[in-house]
Amino acid sequence: MKAVVLDGIVLGLQFGLLGVGMTLVYGLGGVLNLAYGQMAVLAAMVVAVTLGAGAPALVASGAGLLAAAAAGVVLDRTLMRPVYRQRGEHRVLLGLLLTLGVAFVIDGLLLWRYPSGALRLAIGGEAVPILGVRMRVGSLWATGISLAVAALLLGFRATTPGRAAHSVIQDEVGARLVGINPAAVRTFIFAASGALAALVAQTRSMTSPVGVTAGFDFTILALIVAVVGGLGSVAGAFLAGVLLGIVSTVSAFYIGQYITTIVLLAAAALTIVLRPRGLLGRSP
Amino acid sequence: MTAEPDAAVDADAAPLGVSARPPRSLARAYWPIVATGAVLALVPLWLGDSRLMMGLAIDALVFGAYAVAFNVIFGSTNQLFLCVGALAGVGGYGSVILADRAGLPMVVAMLLATAVATALGGLLSWVAVRRSLDVIFTGIVTLAFSLSFANLLLGQRELTGGETGLVVSAGPDTFLGERVAAYYLFLGMLVAFLVVFRALQRSHVGWAFRALRDNELAAELAGVDVARYRVYAGLVGSAMLGITGAVFAHSDGFISPSTFEFGHVDVRVLVMLAFGGLGTLLGPVLGTVVFAVLDEVLIDFGQFRTVLYGLLIIALFLGFKRGAVPAVADLVRRLLARRSRSS
Amino acid sequence: MLEVAGLAAGYLGENVVEGVDVEVGAGQAVAIIGSNGAGKTTLFRALCGLLPVSAGRVRFDGRDVTGQPTHRLARAGLAYVPAERHLFPGMSVRENLLLGAYPKRPQAATEQLVFDLFPRLQERRGQPAGSLSGGEQQMLAVGRALMSRPRLLMLDEPSTGLAPKLARSAYQALQSLKQTGVTLLVAEQQVPLALSLADRGYVLENGRIRLQGAAAELERNPEVRRAYLGVA
Repeated sequence: MKAVVLDGIVLGLQFGLLGVGMTLVYGLGGVLNLAYGQMAVLAAMVVAVTLGAGAPALVASGAGLLAAAAAGVVLDRTLMRPVYRQRGEHRVLLGLLLTLGVAFVIDGLLLWRYPSGALRLAIGGEAVPILGVRMRVGSLWATGISLAVAALLLGFRATTPGRAAHSVIQDEVGARLVGINPAAVRTFIFAASGALAALVAQTRSMTSPVGVTAGFDFTILALIVAVVGGLGSVAGAFLAGVLLGIVSTVSAFYIGQYITTIVLLAAAALTIVLRPRGLLGRSP
Repeated sequence: MTAEPDAAVDADAAPLGVSARPPRSLARAYWPIVATGAVLALVPLWLGDSRLMMGLAIDALVFGAYAVAFNVIFGSTNQLFLCVGALAGVGGYGSVILADRAGLPMVVAMLLATAVATALGGLLSWVAVRRSLDVIFTGIVTLAFSLSFANLLLGQRELTGGETGLVVSAGPDTFLGERVAAYYLFLGMLVAFLVVFRALQRSHVGWAFRALRDNELAAELAGVDVARYRVYAGLVGSAMLGITGAVFAHSDGFISPSTFEFGHVDVRVLVMLAFGGLGTLLGPVLGTVVFAVLDEVLIDFGQFRTVLYGLLIIALFLGFKRGAVPAVADLVRRLLARRSRSS
Repeated sequence: MLEVAGLAAGYLGENVVEGVDVEVGAGQAVAIIGSNGAGKTTLFRALCGLLPVSAGRVRFDGRDVTGQPTHRLARAGLAYVPAERHLFPGMSVRENLLLGAYPKRPQAATEQLVFDLFPRLQERRGQPAGSLSGGEQQMLAVGRALMSRPRLLMLDEPSTGLAPKLARSAYQALQSLKQTGVTLLVAEQQVPLALSLADRGYVLENGRIRLQGAAAELERNPEVRRAYLGVA
């Protein structure tokens, strides 16, 4: 049981990071980026191809992060412009539909180019015992990276750019009044969300391969974590991520994979129905 | 939605118009449906020999039916049900399991499965209404339902055949299995659904739907029981989906999770309506015809087809708020009105 | 410092204000008075880039800033405090103030100035802005605007939602501000308060400027007295 829970935490931290990207874009722009998972897979393929070309690991990794971040910037500056011009429900709907279209485009292109592509980051080494459980080196690396990035994110919140970004979530007009350009912040966050997705794709691939078809799975997962944590809340996404990670591994171990997916989906649905603001979201 | 400035939208605009009032006279209201039915009835004369082509034609009719149902739910009352495929799947899988496994007579199985689909759809509507879920949350909840259903199908392998699907024994040996007969049955269903849609539009229910969609708060204040009408739309639309799924299953002879999954059904319905017009009468028909043709043309493109669908979704929803055809029809109407005014 | 010529703006294609000419000289306090619906908020929103301008020009410090986005104007030294305040409810009083100085680094001296002006804010500096009372939120909104050391401070109905005593003390604070050299442009329904602060004033009625002049003149004007001061 302990092993399962620890695995759950490892997974959960990555869930959290994934959710943060999704929740930030929603909090700032009012857009649910349904192409989010595809950004992750795009990064994974870039890393795989770069590694295959013989580049050192860090370069390949950076290339992946850059690719996804660039995709975010392009998406924000082009297709999202007409979306941001809309208000409220129209914005959410249009954003949803356009990003869905983008998801198909990226999915199709990647599948067309790399029909059986997958990223596997094998990290060698003996399993290390943690709290009496033998953890794979890949898991440890994934955890370490996740924790470091989590710390960075939470630390960022206290910096001026971080506060500026947060203020746009709190009250966009207020942000404009103090001289913050919400459009610039949104572009930055979109790029950052791409980088986060790319990161998670890489950490996940340290324990199991990330295939070229994994896009929608990532998107749905990110959506679930963001919703349960509270749309727009970074801390909420982390908390939800870890909790759902543990639920996920426990359920998969004792019951089965398909039921686990249903449990996660149900968690999101129940959150919306019973407590729409999620774990740490702002009360409406 | 922008308000129409002048008499550019008149009652006859109905089949292709957006947010327009349906025509008052019975003949005007229903002739488009009759005409459509007549035209589509001719298809087997042309394609009847090819089992493959008839299969595609049936597919087109089925998706047309799905789209009409989606129009009732989303086009009319703005409930984003991202579970069109799943509700049809409840009808399809439910009916097949009841008929083949539980041994119920096929028609009974179909009706029961449809009832379950209807109840589920109504429940989703009811929950959304009770908890005042906005469009996006309704969308997520229904998407969660859709994906859960797909996973249920995959997981319960003994009952559902899992990924490999089920070969249906009840049905294909009857007239349902004959392509041409089945085609006419589905055509009849599509026409019936269109009639229901049109009848709803012209009734007080339709008036309430329009009021609700244009301005929900005003509708509430005017005494429109938003909750009741939303659930109503959910029930009707889900019933349509359920019965279509059930009949299709017994007609086609084979169902699998991919027959009813989000990526296969919901996305295609969205694209069809993006083209043909959300909330319009003939939008589903136009959309399904165009996409049946498009799908066939693109079949050799493999994965590139997905890319093209994606680009289409983007182009259509960027360019036209509620549908390409209504926007173009609107433009044409405005041009004609201007010309008749100046002459 | 601020010159507005022939400004028109509105919603959904219809102009709410038209042909507005306003001038605010450096160091002055100017009031725009008018009743509800006269168009004061629309005018201010248009000046600040929160609403598109359909006609006319706005010049700030000699430069044409018509239609520029709000954040650009804020960085140029034009701070606006709307009636709805638009504070950051989940962030503390202090964080709200610190953001007020964006993108420049907040100066301790300025923060102290704000706290001197509004001691209550200092008491509550760690509390989330959303938990403050109406009057305190108003103070915070003004304080936040001050953190950027603006050259022109625009306030839309600063007396909104404040009990008379609080409204008066708010205007006293604005008076102290004026003495430090900040130029003020205030839209106000409560005319006595506005005229007590202003050097000059404009009367806005149905979207057009009806009267203008020195504050004392306006106060003596019989039409103003009848319409806004309740004197027969």
